[in-house]
Amino acid sequence: MIAASIYILVCSALNRLRVRLRRLREPRYLVGAIAGAAYVYFAFFARLRSQRSASVRRRGAPIPLQPTGLLASAGPALAGLGLMLGAAAAWLVPFNSGLLEFSEAETQFLFPAPVSRRGLILHRLIRSQLGMLFTSAVVAVASPSLGGYLRLRVALGVWLLLCTVRVYFTGVTLARARLLTADTRARRVAWLPLAIVSTALLVVGTVLFNEFATVPLQNGQDLLQRFVAVTSRGAAWIVLAPFTAMARPLFASWPQPYLTSMVVSAAVLAACVTWVMLSDGAFQAATEAAADRKTQRQEAASASKYRTAARAWSLAPAGRAEIAFAWKAATQTLRSVDMRLVLRLCAMLAGLTVAGSILGRNNSLVAVAGGLATGAALLWVMLAPQAIRLDLRDDLEHLELLKTWPVRAEAVIRGELLWPVMLVTAVAWGLLAIGIVLSGASFPQFRFGTRLSVGCAGLILAPGLALAQLTIHNAAALFFPAWVPLGSQRSRGLDAMGQRLITLGGTWLTLIVMTLPAAVTAALVWFVLRYLIGAAAYVPAAAVAVVILVVEALVATELLGPVYERLDALAVERAE
Amino acid sequence: MALALEHFRRVYGSFTAVEDLTFAVAPGEIVGLIGPNGAGKTTTLRALAGILRPTSGSVQIDGHDLTADPIEAKRRLAFMPDEPHLFEYLTVEEHLRLTGRLYQVPDIDRRGATLLSELELTGKEKSLPGELSRGMRQKVVIACGLVRNATTLLFDEPLTGLDPLGIRRMRETIVSRGRGGAAILLSSHLLHLVEEICTRVIIMDRGRKVADGTFEELAYRADLAIAGSSLEQIFLKVTGRDQPDPTP
Repeated sequence: MIAASIYILVCSALNRLRVRLRRLREPRYLVGAIAGAAYVYFAFFARLRSQRSASVRRRGAPIPLQPTGLLASAGPALAGLGLMLGAAAAWLVPFNSGLLEFSEAETQFLFPAPVSRRGLILHRLIRSQLGMLFTSAVVAVASPSLGGYLRLRVALGVWLLLCTVRVYFTGVTLARARLLTADTRARRVAWLPLAIVSTALLVVGTVLFNEFATVPLQNGQDLLQRFVAVTSRGAAWIVLAPFTAMARPLFASWPQPYLTSMVVSAAVLAACVTWVMLSDGAFQAATEAAADRKTQRQEAASASKYRTAARAWSLAPAGRAEIAFAWKAATQTLRSVDMRLVLRLCAMLAGLTVAGSILGRNNSLVAVAGGLATGAALLWVMLAPQAIRLDLRDDLEHLELLKTWPVRAEAVIRGELLWPVMLVTAVAWGLLAIGIVLSGASFPQFRFGTRLSVGCAGLILAPGLALAQLTIHNAAALFFPAWVPLGSQRSRGLDAMGQRLITLGGTWLTLIVMTLPAAVTAALVWFVLRYLIGAAAYVPAAAVAVVILVVEALVATELLGPVYERLDALAVERAE
Repeated sequence: MALALEHFRRVYGSFTAVEDLTFAVAPGEIVGLIGPNGAGKTTTLRALAGILRPTSGSVQIDGHDLTADPIEAKRRLAFMPDEPHLFEYLTVEEHLRLTGRLYQVPDIDRRGATLLSELELTGKEKSLPGELSRGMRQKVVIACGLVRNATTLLFDEPLTGLDPLGIRRMRETIVSRGRGGAAILLSSHLLHLVEEICTRVIIMDRGRKVADGTFEELAYRADLAIAGSSLEQIFLKVTGRDQPDPTP
């Protein structure tokens, strides 16, 4: 079975790699991969290299390869204590190790095959190695100020730790299933580890209580010193030993202490694996329970995603197609959020705003709240169009259906934009309204007229800015449909990361170009009118800006129409 | 002709899925489109529905070119795919209302209720697709296709996921629509279904049309006469799969 598991693992990894490499033949993926690789290089390796060389320059000596001082001596015991608490909690809270969850293919191929239960557990353990190795590598790479070889040692230590934790959780799951079994021997085997962990917890708890309850703490250093002292001798040391052994490779120095700690840590892993293999009698029940939980999770996610009770409005039998698209997206929104919660939140915010306005402008809390609301409105308008994907980005999943509808392409695009614009605007207006009401406290340096004028200008500008951004995001989806993740899918790999970076950069650049004419014209209008109407000039300036933005967006939708018509359903790529 | 395809060609990268395909379907005709896997049937249907653009050639629905005049062409067309694509957040009733609005169907509520009853979906009006079985979802797609008076109906494996009673009802529905004057193109691997309800058969293989005619015409065609009189025998002969397997 081990050979078969390794075969599945190697073939899957190679095929995944082959698919990704084959994708690079397409320029868009190649460009994305280059951008992604550059990002990874500059974000991690170049930074680490510069840190290292700066450290060497600063000290004139090689960087230290292991933590020193109190942390090095307290680290294993502290980590061991944390692991012990986690191990105990696993009996109370059913952690999911994932090792008992099999994919559909595994269930179909391996369960009917003449493979023992132990073989199946071993297979899942082997299959989970790639993920754990990757996590270990990420931890080692992301750890600051570590040398090259120390990174490798940390990665190996983390990998052993993750393996042991995962196997232990699987053992707990199997044992929990047999705690009440009629088979006396199996029941004893199931209760034994629980008894050991409970005893260990009791011993360590008593020792720590005796130590810290009697003599008061001086400071943090005192806490660590005394903790190290009590956990390095007697009963506490004995019961904590397996847990500290798991964490020790992360703190041990090279070579002899590290190698010894790795051997001991591997021995703990071997003990856990043996325990799980001996508990395989409960495998059938546990895998069925895991499969049930998986199904329940999926069903619950599916069932709770949309609520039939909520509805936007009743769609009239005749009218513009754009409204039908807005109705569709509005229904989707209302069915995916808890409207009672939203209404309660709105009522609470309104109440707090009224209370804030009554408290007056001299209250610092009110000033902070008003400033936060204004800042949140700005952030919302600039970031929400990226995150709220209730438009073509979401509907590309249904492109095959959309393409059969007798609706002008331009109307489809405008219809897709309508609801997200309304949604972003509504929230922005709410936040801005709070900001305006509390502006007396937040911005007391400005006169009421100025505050009101700027606030109203914000209210006018919000839909224009939202529309401009959403138009750009939808244009990007039409031009690069294969870069848009469908539904809950998330494309993976360096090329996907690079594509996201390119899309983000392109979107912001296009937004600057799109808003520039509106900004320049608005500035001119404000400059001329401020001599005539004073602070109120912000309002007509914003109105002019929003008209320009809307016209630009409408022109863009007309230009995007043929792009949508040419868009082939096959251009929309299903993620791996 | 209600549906006319001329010199249709579709290429995926370096692979030609359909090559120089020409045929027409007249009002009242029920044409079966059959062929082995990878013959190009689904590509043809998806191009006819406006989902895929032809690499070359033209598609006309009731005289409206699908590329030049897509709105009028699509208004007259109903495509029922083998895989039911529904909006997870809209109920059955709302799917019908949305269809009615987009296709400008008068009296959509009454028509919808009649259809739901015909397709045995009464009582499921307020259900979300996630609450329906695959067969029921398929019926909802079919209801959305039939709720408007489309002149051209395209069915891709219409019986997939249906129970025996649903299959019977679906057969009756297709035949009654054909008798009502609709041009119907139906793709299926169920040769007995095609033999039973279709008035004409088009056989495709490797992206090309290899046979086109009524059963009688095909059965009496000189090169097919020796194959036998059943559609299965004709199909195997035409696609070259009637030879015994050379491997022992």
